[in-house]
This record gives sequence, C-alpha cells and structure tokens, in this order.
Amino acid sequence: MGLTLVEKILSSHAGDIPVKAGDMVVANVDFAMMHDARAPNALKMIQKLKASHLPYAKQTALVLDHHSPPQNIEAANAHIAMRAFAKQQGSHLYDTGDGICHQVLPEGGHLSCGDLVVGTDTHSTTYGAFNALGTGVEGTDVAAVLMTGKLWFKVPQSMRIELLAPLPPGVWAKDVTLSLLKRLGAEGANYRSLEYVGEGVSAMGIDERMTLSNHAAELGAKAAILEADEKTLAWLKAHGAREPRVVKADSDAGYVERLSVDSAHLAPQLARGHQIDDVCDVGEMAGQKVDLAFVGTCTNGRLDDIAQVVHILKGRRLASGVRMIVTPASRHIYLEALRLGYVEALTRAGVMVEPAGCGACANITSHVIPGDQQVVISSANRNFKGRLGNPSSPILIGSAATVAAAALTGKVTDPREFFVDRIYA
Amino acid sequence: MKTLIVGKIHLLGEKINTDLHCSTKYLPGKDSAYAAKHAFDGVSPGFATSFATGDVIVAGSDFGINSSREQAIQVLRLMGVAAVIAPSFGRQFFRNAINNGLSLVEAPIEGLSQGDEVSLDLQEGQLKVEKKSLVRSFSALPTFAQAILNAGGLIPFLEAHPDWSIH
Ligand code: SF4
Repeated sequence: MGLTLVEKILSSHAGDIPVKAGDMVVANVDFAMMHDARAPNALKMIQKLKASHLPYAKQTALVLDHHSPPQNIEAANAHIAMRAFAKQQGSHLYDTGDGICHQVLPEGGHLSCGDLVVGTDTHSTTYGAFNALGTGVEGTDVAAVLMTGKLWFKVPQSMRIELLAPLPPGVWAKDVTLSLLKRLGAEGANYRSLEYVGEGVSAMGIDERMTLSNHAAELGAKAAILEADEKTLAWLKAHGAREPRVVKADSDAGYVERLSVDSAHLAPQLARGHQIDDVCDVGEMAGQKVDLAFVGTCTNGRLDDIAQVVHILKGRRLASGVRMIVTPASRHIYLEALRLGYVEALTRAGVMVEPAGCGACANITSHVIPGDQQVVISSANRNFKGRLGNPSSPILIGSAATVAAAALTGKVTDPREFFVDRIYA
Repeated sequence: MKTLIVGKIHLLGEKINTDLHCSTKYLPGKDSAYAAKHAFDGVSPGFATSFATGDVIVAGSDFGINSSREQAIQVLRLMGVAAVIAPSFGRQFFRNAINNGLSLVEAPIEGLSQGDEVSLDLQEGQLKVEKKSLVRSFSALPTFAQAILNAGGLIPFLEAHPDWSIH
C-alpha cells in the first residue's frame, strides 16, 4: 500500500525507513517554535539538560504573542528570560507586536514544503497549509529538539477530505471547518492527520488554506496537510522559505476515512456558544442580537479576513451599541492593512484596530471581556464557556464576513447579501 | 520504568482531562504537591488519599484527553502512580507520559475492578490479575520508547544516549 502525506514526511525525516500509521519513529525536525505561554516550562526542561551548547537552537523561534503586551509582572519577566535565551543561543525572536506564532513562522520563511515543524501549541497544524507536517508538542519535546535536532513521533492515521468545488461568494474556509465540526463533532478527527484536497482547496488563496489547516485542531487533528501548487510555491518564495521538497500522497495510500464536502452549496455557518460543534446555518440564527464583535486570532485574523470586514463596513458605521475589535494576526498584516487603507476605513466605521497578538483570543490581556449576558460574535477558534472571561456570555463563531455583517446590523445576518463575487485582499 | 509492575487498581471513568485534575492550571497559587493531594477529587472524591505509591490507575477511554501540560504527569508521579491502563489516551498526554517516565498500557479494561492486584509485564506486553485468572496481552511499546521510560524520561534518556541510539 502507498503512503499518505504524513507517512511520507515522517518516513523521509526518519532516514527513509518504511513507516505506516501506528509506528513510532525518531525523526529529524526542521524547525521548532515556542511561544510565551509555554516557553517558561520549555526553558525549565532545557535547563535540566546538562548540555550548555544547543546546536539546534538556531532552528528555533521564540514568539512573544500570548502575553502581548504583558498584562502582569510575571508575564513581563517571562519575556525577559525568553529574549535573553534567544540572544544567548542564537534563536529567532519575535517580540511583542510582531504577531501570532502561527503567522510569523511562515511569514519569516521558517518552513517549506515537506518540512517537519513542531510548536508548543495545538494550532501548530497551521503549517500544513504549506505542504509541511506541523504538530503540537510540549516543553520536554522542544528541549530534545534543541539538543539533538530529533524527536519521536507516533505516525497518525490519515483522513482524506475532498472539497468538491470552489466555495460560493460570501462563504469561506471557516464555514467548511464549521460544517465539518457539525458533521464529525469536536473530536471527530482525534489524533488523525487530515488531507484536504479537491477543487475547493485549489481555488483558495493561502490565507484560507491556513484557516483550513489551523482550524483542524478543533476537530482534534494532529496535523492537516495540503498539497502544494503554484500558489504555495510562489508564496513560499516571496517569503524567503527554503527550497521546497514537495510531497504528494500515493494514489493507493491508506486512509481510515474519506469524506467529501459539497462545497458549492455550502451556506455560511455559525457555532453557537458554548460549543464549537453546535453548528447551524447562519440563517437559522438570523436576527439574534449581538453586542460585541471580534475578528482576529491565528484562525481568522489574516489580510483576507480583514478585507472581508472592510468590504462590509467601508463607508458605513457599526450598529449603535455594538463594540468591535479587529486584531491582525501579524505586524506584517497590520502594515498591509494600513497601506491598503483598511485601518482607516475600519476606524472610521467605529472599529478598534489593535496591534497583532493573541491577547484577545483567550482573555489573556483581558481587554475584550463581554458584559453580563452580552452576545459575542467572533472569528476565533474556541467558544467554550468563559473563553473571553465572562461565563454568562455566549460566543458565536463564524467567518470574518459573518462577524462584520452582524456588527453592521447589530444582529446575526447572512453575509452573502454583501458579496456578488469572492473577494480577496 | 520497571518492566514488571505489581500494584493495586484504582478505577477512574472515561475521558478524564488531567489538566483539570492533575495540574495547578485551575488552582492558581497552589503547587504540584497540593495538586497531588487533591488529584481527581472532582471525579472521585478522596481518590488521592487512598492511593499508595506503586498503585495503578485503570481508566476509561481517552484518559488525559485535551490535557497538554506535562505538569499533570509530574503530579501523577508525585502521587506514586506506577502505570495507567486505559483503552486509549489523549495524544499529548501520551507524549508527555513517555517523556516524563510514566508507563502507559493501552488495553481493554473489562474485568479489571477496584482493589484488584494487577501485574504488568511491560516488555512482554502482558497483564494479569491472578486471583481472577485473567491474562490479557497488549502491544508493548517499541524498544526506544521503553528505553526512554527505563531512563526515567526523555531528558535523562538523552543524557545517556545523545544520538537516540540504544545499541
Ligand atoms: S490566537 Fe488564540 S488559538 Fe491562536 S495561538 Fe493565539 S491564543 Fe492560541
């Protein structure tokens, strides 16, 4: 039997030995990431190593994104330690305001097709958008990678998901994942590696593909790897990535499950608070009043997302009484949004545009807290009770366009009425 | 890791999130020793108090699901847990357990009851409850994973085998 994408990448990194799902292998890691929420533990583990020289530290990035800007002394001190470590070991450092780890890694040219990349975060699946294996690990794992350049892996089973056709106007990658969450449940792809294929994926730009790979974490996936095409290669080249080693799944590869999504007829989706897999068509909740709108995070805070918001809000005003915050996923995206006039258009519409980071996503910096019973609509990835700091407040999750349409009208609104074509930044 | 473990069984249910029950994530200001004294109180009050060093946890499927912190393993080790037997484990929990020297046995748990004395041969992949004449085989971990456990975790393993080779 042939090999899936994840089997191919693990096999090539384990010295071209034959591997199959279920095997455990020791593989060479191309790049590792630790962010400020988990780096304190990783640095503790690294200290346990007696090695003073960490030969692979240069293939590592430390990202100050969760506590950005730091909300207390402990967080600020953790940043001091991370900066010092990066300087001493020659690791890459992304400081506060540079952006969210999963955005700055690809933008910084740190990964390419065929790579094996680990990060101290569940959404490390994002790197799969670039035909790489990206997966989440913990501090001891990172310590091992810094010292030896290798790590052990259990080869996951794979699941193939085909998007049969391009998405219609007003419907986005976010809606695809939400529809899968409805179909499979929040643990429906536990420990599996997903492969998204088909015309629906080819039609997407890189921003949407990153949403697909990133949001696979909510399905429980360990990785979500896409095929590479000209768009992938052009993007990587423009960002100074290493020479790509494109991987393709064999035609007789073994999948535990194959699914197809009728993407041409998909409607915008909405997850109701407090469960990410309690999903319905936006239409079913149309008219529900909303109080607080948020567009950002590693899932949907990219330029395409911001362009959707601008498309809906430009020259208009937020509904009276609605508060809206937009957080670009990186400084680079922020600068692009400035250059394109997006920040001005949003600011005039009444939106607060803030520097890049994770702060708003999990109530880390506590500045997006809803009031009692206030209804939040958000493009983030998680909506469990209290995620934004107020358990009485339900969080609805939808695409950036769905969030913007609700912010404009003050109630859940089908965003398709604003789009005759698919638009990109 | 001892390749032979003999210990008393303590039962837990399905889908236990160890971040919730075995770390200080939800107990700000408390340390691991405190977490170890109160581990699993939320699902089985007094669990840690009746637990003795060398005992074994037997749990339902997906033990450690959605648990990403290795501190949870350190708390289990502080409690003296010799091994955990469950039909399946959370992915990151599984990694963290091996990396921090906690033995896991992936096997069906039918017939295993509270208080039974279970013996585990981790190298051969065999589980026995003698008084019930119950014998069950499970797939033993690959040699290098056993070597990591034997060393007490990934960091001590790498100190001894910096090139990951065990020969
Ligand atoms: S944006 Fe949210 S989900 Fe993404 S890495 Fe940051 S905290 Fe995690």
